[in-house]
Amino acid sequence: MEHKIVDHLFRHHYGKMVAILTRFFGLSHIETIEDAVQDTFIKATLQWRTQLPDNPEAWLTKVAKNRTIDLLRSIKAEKNRFQKVTSGVSSIQLNDLFLDHEIEDSQLRMIFVACHPSLKPKEQIAFALKTISGFSTKEIAAALLTKEDTIAKRLSRAKKSITANNIAFDFPPPKELQNRLERVMEVIYLTFNEGYHSTNTEKLVREDLCGEAIRLCKLLLKKEKLRSGSLYALFALLCFHASRLESKTNALNEIVDIREQDRSKWHFPLIEIANRAMTKSSYYDDFSIYHYEAAIAFEHVKAKTFEETNWKNILRWYSKLHELQPTSFTLLNIAIVNLQLNELNTAKKVLEELRINDLGQRQYLYFGSYAEYYLKQGERDLAKNYFEKAISKTSNSLEKEYLRKKVERL
Amino acid sequence: MKEFMMIFIGADYQELGLSPEELQDRMGKWFAWGDKMGAQGILQGGKALVPVIKRVVGKDRTVSDGPFAEGKEIVGGYYIVTAENADAVVEIAQDYPDYDLGGTVEIREVMVFNN
Repeated sequence: MEHKIVDHLFRHHYGKMVAILTRFFGLSHIETIEDAVQDTFIKATLQWRTQLPDNPEAWLTKVAKNRTIDLLRSIKAEKNRFQKVTSGVSSIQLNDLFLDHEIEDSQLRMIFVACHPSLKPKEQIAFALKTISGFSTKEIAAALLTKEDTIAKRLSRAKKSITANNIAFDFPPPKELQNRLERVMEVIYLTFNEGYHSTNTEKLVREDLCGEAIRLCKLLLKKEKLRSGSLYALFALLCFHASRLESKTNALNEIVDIREQDRSKWHFPLIEIANRAMTKSSYYDDFSIYHYEAAIAFEHVKAKTFEETNWKNILRWYSKLHELQPTSFTLLNIAIVNLQLNELNTAKKVLEELRINDLGQRQYLYFGSYAEYYLKQGERDLAKNYFEKAISKTSNSLEKEYLRKKVERL
Repeated sequence: MKEFMMIFIGADYQELGLSPEELQDRMGKWFAWGDKMGAQGILQGGKALVPVIKRVVGKDRTVSDGPFAEGKEIVGGYYIVTAENADAVVEIAQDYPDYDLGGTVEIREVMVFNN
C-alpha cells in the first residue's frame, strides 16, 4: 500500500486551524492555540505510522476540534480569563467555523491582523509566516537570512502589540479597508521577493516563500470585496516571476542570468494563469506599481529568445513605473535597459542620477552596470575595476562567483 | 524465522520542537519504511507510546510521575518484525528515520518457549 499525503498538508493545515481557533478564543490566546495545534501534528505523526486514516485532513480537523474543546474547558477553569473568551464568539457555533468558507474567512482575518499598522513591517512578515503559513521560527530565520532569536523577538513583539492595541480578529472597517489591503499586498510582495531574490538560501526555502506569497494572494482573490486591479496585477506579477524560478539556478546552484536561462523550462501553466490575471486586472479602474512590474515581467516571458526581448517596451514600462513611484532601484533598472539598447550616454546619465546608498545590498548591481557600460565602450581595464568593486560589494558567494566568471571572460 | 522487537528510543518530536513541515517530512519517511517492510511481509505490528511516564517502585509500591529521564532516553515506540537473525534486523533498522535527531534503535529477540 502506498502512503501519500498532500504536499505541505501539515503546514497549511496549521494556518487554518490557528485561524479558526483564534476566531473562537480570541487573539489573546494565540500562544496556547499554537501549542495545541502543534500537538495535533505530533499525535498524527505517531498514530499514523501504523495506520493512515482514510482522510488525513478530516482526521487532523477532528483532533484539532477535540483539542479545542479541551482547551475551552481548561480556559474556562481559569475564571479570570473566562470573560474574555466568551466575548464576541458566543453566537458562533464551533462546528460552523470548520466549514470551508469560514476557514478561508478566518485566515483572511488573520492576514489583516498580521498587517495591522501597529506592527512593524519586519514583525508583520515574521508573524504572517508563523501564524498563517505555519513556518517554525527556525524556518523563518533561514528564509529571511536572520538569526533565530531575532525572529523570536519579532514574533513576541508582534504578539505584544496585538494585545496592547487590542486588535480585533476581524476585517478592517470599510473606510480603512483599501489602505490596509495595500499593506497586505506589500507584505505579500516582500515575502515573495525574499524568496525570489535571495540566492543564499536553499532552493526549497525559496520556493516555499514564493509559494506562500502566491497562496495568500489567491486566498485574497477568492473574496469579492477584496478584489481589485492591483491585487490581480500583483498575482500576475508573482506568477510571471514564479514561472522562471526553476531556471534561475542550475543543478550546481549557480546563478543563471536571464540571457542564458533555458526558456523551455519556464513553467507555461503559470504564465497562462498570469496572463488571465492581467486581463482581469484591466476590468478595474485602480492602478498600481504591480501593473507596471507585471507588464515588465510579461515582456521577459513573452520573448522566445533573449535577443527577441522588446527592450523598448520594457523601458517604457520602467519609465511609467518611475513616474508613479520614483526609486533608485527603478533608475538602476532603467540604466540596465539603456545598456541593452546601446543607449550608452543615457545609461551613464541615469547611473549618475541615482543615489547609490538607496540600493542597500544591491549596490553591486550598480557597479556591475558601470562595468557593463565600460565594457561596451571598449574600456576593458575600467570595466574590470568596476567588476572588482561589484564583487567587493556583495557578500553572497553565488553572486561573487557569477561576477568572477564575467571578469575571467574579459 | 524468529520474531524481533525494534525499540525506538529518543528523538521525541515534541521536545525537539519540529515544525509542521518537518513533522510531515518525518512521517513520510516512516510511511516509506513501513511500506517497505509491509511489502516484504515482515512487519507484524507496533505501537507508539505517549511520552508521559508513571512508575511503581519497590516493596511499598511507591507511585511516581517523572521526569525520570531526559527525552533522549525515553522509549517512543516499537515494531515487531520477523527475520532470520539479529543481523538481518540491523539491516532492516537502517531505514529508521530519526538517527539524525539522536534516535536509537534497540533490537531484542522475542523469547520463544517450547514445551
